[in-house]
Amino acid sequence: MRWTGTISHELLCARRERLPQFLLLVFVSMIAASAFIGSSARATVSNVYQQARNQGLTTAANPFDGLSPLYYARNMVIYIVLIGALLAIVVGVRSTLRDRQARTTDLMLSRDVRPAFYLGSKLAGLALFMLILLAVSTLISIGCISAVAGQFLTPGESARIVGLYALAWLFLLPFVALGMLAGLYAATATSALLIPVVIWSLVVFVLPLLGTAAHPVSLLNPVAGPTAAQTGFFALSSAVTGPLSLAEQFKHVSSLILADQQATGTISSGLAIILVFAVVGCAAVALTTRGRIRSTLRD
Amino acid sequence: MTDLLILSQKEITDLRRTKFLVVLFAFLAAVVVLSVVVASADFRIKISDYNQYVTALKAAGSTVAAPPPQLFPLQMLRGGIEYLEIVGSLFAVVLGYSLVAKEKGRGTLHLLFSRPVHRFAFAGGKILAIAAVWTVMVAGLFIVITATLLVVGNAPLQGTDYARLGIAALHTAEYLIMWSLLAMALAALTRGPSTGLILALVLWLVVVLIIPQIGDTMDPDNQIPGGLFASLQIDKSHEQAVMSHFSGYETTRDLVEQTSVTKQYERSTFAYLGIKNVYNQQPLSFIWAGTFNNTLWLLFGLAVSVTSALFASTKKTLLRKAI
Repeated sequence: MRWTGTISHELLCARRERLPQFLLLVFVSMIAASAFIGSSARATVSNVYQQARNQGLTTAANPFDGLSPLYYARNMVIYIVLIGALLAIVVGVRSTLRDRQARTTDLMLSRDVRPAFYLGSKLAGLALFMLILLAVSTLISIGCISAVAGQFLTPGESARIVGLYALAWLFLLPFVALGMLAGLYAATATSALLIPVVIWSLVVFVLPLLGTAAHPVSLLNPVAGPTAAQTGFFALSSAVTGPLSLAEQFKHVSSLILADQQATGTISSGLAIILVFAVVGCAAVALTTRGRIRSTLRD
Repeated sequence: MTDLLILSQKEITDLRRTKFLVVLFAFLAAVVVLSVVVASADFRIKISDYNQYVTALKAAGSTVAAPPPQLFPLQMLRGGIEYLEIVGSLFAVVLGYSLVAKEKGRGTLHLLFSRPVHRFAFAGGKILAIAAVWTVMVAGLFIVITATLLVVGNAPLQGTDYARLGIAALHTAEYLIMWSLLAMALAALTRGPSTGLILALVLWLVVVLIIPQIGDTMDPDNQIPGGLFASLQIDKSHEQAVMSHFSGYETTRDLVEQTSVTKQYERSTFAYLGIKNVYNQQPLSFIWAGTFNNTLWLLFGLAVSVTSALFASTKKTLLRKAI
């Protein structure tokens, strides 16, 4: 009963918060728009190819011939990394910060409740919130891709979209946990929001550069980035930073799930890394002490 | 005028006393230096690959070889500029927001406005402080960048290269001041302590990441690894001939990108640093002729942010929105 009480309270609060809702609106809008952006790009590339062929400039085959409708889902991966992760952080921060600002944890912990149980329930509530959000996004994605492709997706293709969003849920869990931890440990409300956003920017933009020399802005492009050199500086740096580049692991596994012809390798290693991040994040939240939960903010 | 200078001085003293500025500078300097180190390592690998290729050709008895990769030192700053564009603006948002949020949080607004200060003195003091802080920080960052190019990149810099770095630094300062002032205006206009920050972050997300991402995705040459035209073995002159048939689409894509002030900043700095090939090693007058509209749009963005911060941070607005 206590579990369900805390979970439903978290869902209610997440639903009531206006600003995460604003971010949610941006996320869902971009998920819906991404299929149409992909469609526009693909149509143009096909026309460019046809033009080049008509002018006798190429004899190569059209690189987009026989491409699966799942191609249109590539941009969604980027929006999950950018907007979804920020939304997860904001939702997580607000959840624990709300308690500290309203001083409700004192009252809550005066009852016979273990901190791990309480925080675990809050995390479960937020995880459920993200699951509902991603389930809605899955339906929107399938609908938009079907509309753009002019045909219903096959059960296999739909299953891949479902797989992508299931992976996205797992990928977003560490960010929810990170947000919750920042809300619990930060001294001020500003630093509670700032610290996880800086960590996110490090993970998304800095770590991939160290491993592959990829430029930060190129990471916003859904096309697979450069692979790390097998010898020398980048072999070493990619071995160290590769497993920590959570966003790159997510992009790699996603491209395999979406059957991207340019993606190579297996799902298992990337999936294992994402899973480890999720487990570590959730464990860190659950291990927070009673004193920390009750700590006061400086602003 | 005296009020404005006193408030500005107080703001700078406040900022100097916190660790935030030190952390901010250290982080930005670290990522920028790191990007030059990585670019330098990448270039060395290209040279090594080229030497191996030439040796293999010689062993096979061939004398025809592609020209070796050329080092243009300022091109190694691409990653660094992109970090300033993304992470730098993120820090700028937090800095701008914190200047108003701290007054709201500490409840010092009522005390401050109980004194006979000019309507715009509060905002003006903060704007001046932000401008001074970013000017000094960006100057420091570009000194670090130059030193890194000389030491780590082992790059010979000419007199004109220093001028180009100076112009890029000016653009960077403008860009970061603009983000801080926009965040300051949003913090002044919202009641809740984190509402302003989240709104500023959403704005940052849309302008810095989403709009450029849409423009990038619409680029036909970005659809395939290595580029569409390279995969079809079409050279640059023919590429332009083909793309001239898609001017409507390209104009739309360009307009989408131009709505982001981040792209205006990127286009102008990339041009002055020669990162964009068409401007590499070109005289400054040529670059100005090609990118003055980007610089002017950036200045327009700065003017809008100054005006917003000035009018949003008046006594009336701030006290109405105070906690």
